[in-house]
Amino acid sequence: MGWLRVIALAALILLLIPIFVLLYYGLGPLRDSAGYSILVFRSIELSLVASALAVAVDVVVFTPLAYYLARGSDRIAESLVDIPISVPHPIIGVALLILDSPITPTGKILLGLHIDFYNTILGLVLALVIMSAPIFVKSMQPYFESRESSTEEFAAGLGASRIRTLFAVVLPESFDGLTSASLVSMSRALSEFGSISIIAYYVLQYPFYGVSPASVTIYNFFSGNTAGGLNAAVTASAAMILVAIPIALAGHFVRRRPRR
Amino acid sequence: MIEVNVRAHVGDFRLSAVLEGEGVICIAGRNGSGKSTLMRVMAGFLPLDEGYVKVGGADVTRFPAEKRGMVLVNPSSFIPHLKVDSHILWGARLKHGRPSPASLSKIKQELGIDFEGKVGSLSRGMRQRVALATALVASPRAILVDEAFLGLHEKEEFIVTYGKLVKEEGIDLLFSSQDQTDGRMSDHLFVIDAGSMGPGSPDKTRSLTEHSTTV
Repeated sequence: MGWLRVIALAALILLLIPIFVLLYYGLGPLRDSAGYSILVFRSIELSLVASALAVAVDVVVFTPLAYYLARGSDRIAESLVDIPISVPHPIIGVALLILDSPITPTGKILLGLHIDFYNTILGLVLALVIMSAPIFVKSMQPYFESRESSTEEFAAGLGASRIRTLFAVVLPESFDGLTSASLVSMSRALSEFGSISIIAYYVLQYPFYGVSPASVTIYNFFSGNTAGGLNAAVTASAAMILVAIPIALAGHFVRRRPRR
Repeated sequence: MIEVNVRAHVGDFRLSAVLEGEGVICIAGRNGSGKSTLMRVMAGFLPLDEGYVKVGGADVTRFPAEKRGMVLVNPSSFIPHLKVDSHILWGARLKHGRPSPASLSKIKQELGIDFEGKVGSLSRGMRQRVALATALVASPRAILVDEAFLGLHEKEEFIVTYGKLVKEEGIDLLFSSQDQTDGRMSDHLFVIDAGSMGPGSPDKTRSLTEHSTTV
């Protein structure tokens, strides 16, 4: 274990270097007040709210998919789940944009129903759902797989359908797994940039009128779209890391295994 | 009446079983002989290669598990977050049925269920009693008990009582045991060994550790 441990820790440090660099410079030599201004905190607030809403949708809509994959043998569905996070993320933003564009039939219908994705909280949440759901599903699937199937088979024998078994038997015992998967996927949603920079560069709705998601705000500092420059970008990044890391860590520390 | 003629496989393990009987049926076999595999095939949780499963005259071979009317009960068959009474009524409620309070009370009394609380926090024996009561109250066509009688206090008396209750409800009961002498409490005894099954003898002097006959 000696050398293995050394190599493993070295690899881990390699992964964490960017985080430490940002924390060090963002909170130290490069600290800039623009990086922890009200603009940044509103951005982080928007990202937190939108990510939490996205995860709520993940739980409601994608838990059955995770259970289906865990208890079935649908290899095709299993590989399709990964596609949204396997393609360049801006593609998802473009897809949502086209889906809701006045030049497409779907867009005409959606806009006719006053459903607008562009620069709205709905568009932002939708993009985050698509980008976080695969992580949620891939987190819940092994959790369900590790559950002993006797209880579910008992329920089925008593006449319960699979969906009823999921909601009445499995989920009441899956709080740990749901919490953990939710935190991990929320962490993923908070870090999203590619898709939301296209579909919701900023939000033009109350209570976040004119506010950009945190990742976009950091990019704006860096690119000069917002006054502050590199120093503000680094400081805002450090602030974002301080918010995101506890969520990511909590997701991993919550017990992942079923009680039985 | 339960009628089974199946061939199935799980990995390298091959199951070939023919069974016909009604009332209380015992399947005896050592660990790894195929008892659980047979029951899971019958209940619809494992696919069969060929053959059929009939219960109460109905061919349920192609039915999904929830439509077969066969409840598989093993020592882990319980819904932990439910309280005892809710658990017992859970299956019946799925069918929009509910036994009369007198009937429920009788079943609880006969099965020695004089305790309350969440089922997940009960002892193993208590949980098994509750699970068996739940299966009974749900009125399925058959109850398949996979070693869920094992470790129960006064096991033989319990099996006899449970067998009487299921017969009163017109339900067939099939239970597995590692001990062929448990066949005394059944109407029919089958012995399974290495995935093959045939009739056995409830010889009180022999246990399966000594039994070498396979069919």
